[in-house]
Parts: sequence; C-alpha cells; structure tokens
Amino acid sequence: MSAIIEVSGVAKTFRQPKRLPGLGGAIRSLFSRDYTEVRAVQDVSFAIAPGEAVGYLGPNGAGKSTMIKMMTGILVPTAGSLSVLGREPHAHRMTNAAEIGVVFGQRSQLWWDLPVRDSFDLHRHIYEVPEARFADNLAFLTTMLGMADYLDRPVRQLSLGQRMRAEIAMALLHDPKILFLDEPTIGLDVVAKDAVRKFLAQINRERGTTIILTTHDLQDIEEICPRLIMVDDGKLLFDGELPRLRAALGSRRRLRLEFGSDPGPITLTTARLVTDDGAAKHFLLDAEDTSILDVLTELGSGYDLKDVTLEEPAIEEVIRTFYQSKPQRAAEAL
Amino acid sequence: MKARAYAAFTVNAFQSRLAYRSAVWSAAFGDLVFIFARIAIWVSVYGAATSTMTDGVTLPQAITYAIIAGPVLYWDFARLLHDVGTAIQTGDVAVYLLKPLHYPAFLLASHIGHFLFELLLVVLPVVVIAGLTYGMVPPASLFHALAFLGYWALSFMMLFALASLAGLAAFWLMTASALEWFLMSIMTLLSGGLVPLWLFPGWLAAIAGHLPFAWVSYYPAAVYLGRLDVSQTLLYFAIGLVWLAVLLGALAWLWTRARHRLIVQGG
Amino acid sequence: MALVRTLAVIPHLVRMFVRTKLEYPGALVLSWVSQAVSYGSMYTAIALIVARFGTLGGWSWSEIALLLSFHLLAYSTGASFSFTQFRVMEDLVRQGTMDALLVKPISTWTYLVFSGFNIGYAGHVALAIGLMGWALTQVEVTWSFPLALYFIATLVSGAMVVCALMTMIGATAMVFVRSRHLYSIFFGFWELARYPITIFPLPIQVLLLTAVPLGFISTVPVSVILGKPVPMLGDFAGLACVLAGPAMAGLAMLHWRWCLRNYQGAGG
Repeated sequence: MSAIIEVSGVAKTFRQPKRLPGLGGAIRSLFSRDYTEVRAVQDVSFAIAPGEAVGYLGPNGAGKSTMIKMMTGILVPTAGSLSVLGREPHAHRMTNAAEIGVVFGQRSQLWWDLPVRDSFDLHRHIYEVPEARFADNLAFLTTMLGMADYLDRPVRQLSLGQRMRAEIAMALLHDPKILFLDEPTIGLDVVAKDAVRKFLAQINRERGTTIILTTHDLQDIEEICPRLIMVDDGKLLFDGELPRLRAALGSRRRLRLEFGSDPGPITLTTARLVTDDGAAKHFLLDAEDTSILDVLTELGSGYDLKDVTLEEPAIEEVIRTFYQSKPQRAAEAL
Repeated sequence: MKARAYAAFTVNAFQSRLAYRSAVWSAAFGDLVFIFARIAIWVSVYGAATSTMTDGVTLPQAITYAIIAGPVLYWDFARLLHDVGTAIQTGDVAVYLLKPLHYPAFLLASHIGHFLFELLLVVLPVVVIAGLTYGMVPPASLFHALAFLGYWALSFMMLFALASLAGLAAFWLMTASALEWFLMSIMTLLSGGLVPLWLFPGWLAAIAGHLPFAWVSYYPAAVYLGRLDVSQTLLYFAIGLVWLAVLLGALAWLWTRARHRLIVQGG
Repeated sequence: MALVRTLAVIPHLVRMFVRTKLEYPGALVLSWVSQAVSYGSMYTAIALIVARFGTLGGWSWSEIALLLSFHLLAYSTGASFSFTQFRVMEDLVRQGTMDALLVKPISTWTYLVFSGFNIGYAGHVALAIGLMGWALTQVEVTWSFPLALYFIATLVSGAMVVCALMTMIGATAMVFVRSRHLYSIFFGFWELARYPITIFPLPIQVLLLTAVPLGFISTVPVSVILGKPVPMLGDFAGLACVLAGPAMAGLAMLHWRWCLRNYQGAGG
C-alpha cells in the first residue's frame, strides 16, 4: 500500500526576538533587534499508509504541533520534503484542506454565539458537501457522538466535552481522507475523553479514515493508535508499534510479592528489587523471557508467601523509561 | 504597607508597557502626525487672516495651546475605559473583590503608571519635536507656570474620574465601546482639546466653561498662556476641585452599587 | 475551483456574522448612535474653526463638509471590509485561531473579511451620506454623467486604499506577531486626510501621496472634483485617484502572500 503521507528529512526553524530581563533589559530591548533561532523540528522522516491511526507523542515544545501544521499546509518546512495525498501541502493548501479534517483541541472552529447547527451548515457550504451526503453524515455523527440534545444550542452554552465532540463531528462532515487532531482530549473529563477515544477508534476502523493525533495523554494512544511516533527536542525518537517499543526497552514487567511477615532483605538474580515495604516487595523483571516460575524457583519455599501479582507495564512506565534513557530531558518528560 | 502595594501597581503598569517596543514607536509617530495636523490648521487659518491676533491670541500662542491641550493633557483614556469595561463584561472584576484593595484606587495607581510611561516615552519626544519645529511660547509668568502644574494634576484626575465612571457604567449598559465613543464625542468638543473655548460662540463657551470637561484641556492650557488672571486662576481651580470632588463621589457611589450588584446578583 | 467555492460562500459568511451581531441588538444600535455622535462632534469642532476664520486653506465650510463626508464614506466602506477583522489578527495568530482558518479550503482573506463584514459602520455611513447630501447642494460643481461616475469611482478607489492598508497591517502580524500598533500610524495620517492637503508642510504632503497614500481617500479626489489644484500630481491627480485603489490592492495582495509564506504560527 502506498503512503498517504510521506515526510522525509523535514526541519522547521523559527526566529524569535530576544527578550532581555529586568527594567534595564526592557528599555534596552526597545532598541535591539536580536533574534534567537528555535529549531522546532529537525530531520524528521516517516511514512503513513491509508487507514492507519498514528499517535504523535512528545513533551511540550517537542515540535508536535509544528509537524501537524506542516502536514496541513499552514507552515512551510525550512528543509526536507513533505507529501500529503500526493501533494506538497503548503503549495496546495486549499486543495489539501478540502480533503483533510483538522481539529485543534484548544481553539474552537465553531461560531461562539450561534447554534452548533449553523456552524455545521456553513461548513457544508465551505466544503461543498452534497446535501444528501451532508444529511447522512450529520445523522450518523449526531447519533454516534450523542449530540442530538445540543445541536440547536449556542456554542457558548456548551460544556467543553460537548464542544469538543461538535468540533470533531464538524471536521468529519466532508468525509476527509485524513483526520488531524492536535491534543483532542486536553482538558476533558474522564467520561468525555472515553467517548472521544471510542469514537475515533471506531471511525478509523469502520470508515478507514486515517488518523494522526498529537497528545500528552498516553491512554489516547493506547486506545486509538496502534502506531506511535515519539519525538523530543524536534527529533524523532521512536516510530513503530507500541508492543515493539515495550520490547525494545525490555518488557519491564513488575512483580509484587506479599509475605505474611517481613522476611528481611531478599536478593535475586532473575528479578531486581525496586521497592521494599517490608512485607510487600516490588521487583522488576528486566529480561523478556523470565517467567514467574523462574523467580519463584529461585526464591525457594522458605518464605511465608501470601500473594503474587504480575503487572504488565503501563504505557506511562514504558515511555518514562524511554525518556530516562536520555538523561538531559528526563525532568521534562511527561 | 498599603501605599507601597499601590505604588507597586504603578511600577508594574509602567514596566508592562516597556515590553511592547514597537508600540511605543508607533504611538509616538502617530501622535506626532496628529499634532502636526492640528498645528497645520492654525498656521493655515492664521496665515489667511488679516490680523496677527484672533481673540487676543497670536499664532505662536495658538500652536503652544495645541501642543499642551492635545498630547500633553489629553491622554488616551480608552485603555482605562477598556480595562474597566472588560473586567466587568468578563466578570474578572470579581477577582478584585477578593483582594484587600479598593478597585478604583487600584485603577488610579496602575493608570498613573501608564500615564507616566506615555508622558516619558511618547508625549515628551512628541512635544520636543513639535516644539523645536514650530516653537513654543513659555508660560505667561512664574505664577502661571506653577498654577499650570496644579491644573495639570487636576486635569489628570478629572479625566481619570470621567473615564472610570464611563467604564463602570458598562455594568448596566453592557457595552464599554459605545460609552467610549460617547465620552470621546463629549471630550472632542467640550474639553477644548481641539478648539479653544475662546473660539466658541459666547453662549456655548459659557456652558462649556462651567462643565468639568473644560478642566481637562482648556483651563490648564489657558492658564499656561496667561489667559486667566491671578484671581480667576484661583477661582477656577477651586471650581475644578469641586467638580472633581463631585465626580470622585459619584465614582465611589457607583462602585459601591456595582459591588453590591456583584455580591447580591453574582454579576 | 477554489475561487468559485470561495465566492459562493461569501453570502453565507455575511449572514452568519449579521446573525451574531443581532444576538445583541441593543449594543449594535448603541454603537451606531455613539459613533455617529462622535464624528458629529468632531465635525462641529472643525466647523467652529472654519466659522471663526472664514476658510481653511482656501476651502469654505461647505467644501470642507464635502471633504469630511467623502473621507468618512470612503473610510467606513473600506473599513467595514477590514478594520475590526484585521485589528484582531495578532490575537488570531497568538491564540492559534489563524491556524484553524488556514486549514479551510477557501481563501483565508475572504473568510476573514466576510465572516466579520462589519455592519457596525452603519452609523458612519448614515452620517456621511447625510452630510454629503447637504454639501453637494452647497458646493459649486457642474454635474455631468461622467463626473458623477468619476465621483463614485474615486469613492470606491478610496475605500480600496483603506482596505488594502488595513490588510497589509493585519497580514504583518503573521510574520511579526504584533502589528496592531501600526494602526496608530494609520490613524495619524487618516486624521490628516480629512483636511485640505495644501495646509500641510511638503514632507507630509509627500507621505500622504506615497508611503501612506491616504490622501487618495479624500483630499485629492475632492480637490479634483472641486477643481482645486493638487500639489505635485497636477493634472495627473484625476487619474491617480482612480488608480490608487487597484494599485494598493495589488500591493496588498503581494504582501499578504509573502506573509502567508513566512507565517510562523504562534511559534513552537
């Protein structure tokens, strides 16, 4: 299957005026024209096939939004080449725009003072959606996202969760081939997040809409995106499936042993002790092929063992480990 | 302690403006163009007139009046009005009720900061350039020079009180911008900032000369030029103080009403 | 294709904005009245000066009134397409709202202009037409069909100059983030443009005809119509008034495109 998005060696550099600290600095900056160069994206390459759902993940300022903006034609790359649906997005911004849907989590594209339905209607005209198709899509999205009871209310009266569902629905009204979402779940409560995630996964599965989303929230990726692209400091760190990331880092399963009474310190070769609360001890299994049986065999039968729990690593854990392998960014990661 | 807190608001406002360097240059340039337009009008009408004096005022005096009554005294009250209007419309004004401070006093403190900023970085350069280009006459006497300083302070307070009142009125009318336009139209004509009261028809001058707006531009500039003798200078200063007391009283009363409304009706 | 789509959307955009404004009818009416009153008071002040001295730069009050009304009509027409829309441009850029506009499959300029087509200028327009109606009966102009056409053409051209300058200032925010402060320069020259150009010193006259060509929204065309000499341009003034608008629009378009290409977003 040929790629729907191809990014190769893309970089983006911004120029920002220097600000000097303090009152004296402020007065001096009235006269100075110094700039600092910010390299938001550096030499990033990847390809995305039709129907994929890809999570674009990284800490704040990692260049996630910049990448989305280049793929949607808003920003021009400083270097490298970019192709979306066979076109260079910036050179064909409007043609490109007609075939994609974009949702910006923190800024609304709906008309604040008017009912949701009016924004949808304007969208129909802007994207020239045939009437029958529009009616079908609207009916489908209204049911799927449970918007029926607020479609005729002014946007200013909606909750954040309702508004975000309306934003996503609007971005899908014209049957886009690709849906870009920049932080779609930011600020939503648990129930709204869950609804949004389920819906996006379903749209991807049933309609084959390619989804690319940036997020802080790892659960977004776990539930929507089989594939993960991780960036930091503008550079690509990892591109692949989540299980592969786990494997690449070592599985890092966590084993919890609970004893009837504190057995004292225990040292094992198959498992590494991480926390010791006396009667409860946590171990990490560093090697992929270590089984519980191996650990219990090594431990022997001389202990008053009450309970054994094995936890698969949470995605947070996986990614934290990944960032910790880059010490200088550890503090900022997640 | 309290006084120091308010002084901090003044410094804060001053500093916040320094971050917008291009805005400083643009404002100064825009003001300069404005005052050149005003001066050009006087040069033109005096040039065409048969005598060098109109109503006992010479061209250099008219130019001096234009500079003082315009950029020096008539500061941009739109910022103040907007601050108040926005705080009210967004409900942010409630935040000030939580703090141990008096909102109008806070406004005064921070807008003194804005005023000083504009005076130093916008008005002064404009006055120097306009003055060097066209010439300015000195104050009529030492008395008038000193009196002008008093009138200047009075002018600032008067405009502050008027703009704050208009801003607070947004509580009931829910639109700060229309109030800004209304206040602007009154000030354009009745403050004497553009046309000195001596050019008004007698009846209009008599009315305008006793409304508080004339203390913003007309009286301070007229005192500077020595159009008022010593006793008149003192008398009109006293009248100005009475007007200011009335306006500040109205402001305090309106704020109490607004606060009551906020607390009882939740905005 | 994109052009057809863009044109077809315009009426829908305008309707949306008008409906938004009508959500607050009281504020709308109050703003019409307050703005008309404000201009009225400014004009009264100018009338007081002219009344006291007889003329201003050789122009009688009725001629000045024609100048003021032409200035207001050209300005408010041009500004209804541009001012409030482009004044917020730096906020759109800083808050990222601009990004959302850029991913629409129609011209961003058109979307901005017509989704904010400002009916708030109705007060300006009413005052300008009223004053102009009176002034036209007072000034000595021999009307003919071509002159009437020319009068309208210069008004349209003047409005285009306003809209082009506003667009250029707004577009600048895409590259430098801040650009609102430039409007204070605009309004400085805008103020000059409502007086006869001849009363100003030469450098200001030059600026009004070149770098900030606001002379073409009022004082130059009205001089031509009243048969008054225009400094520097001379006989070319008549043609220049009609050309100024399209020329500035072309320049604004190039500037807009340049800014779009160099758009930085909110950065990061």
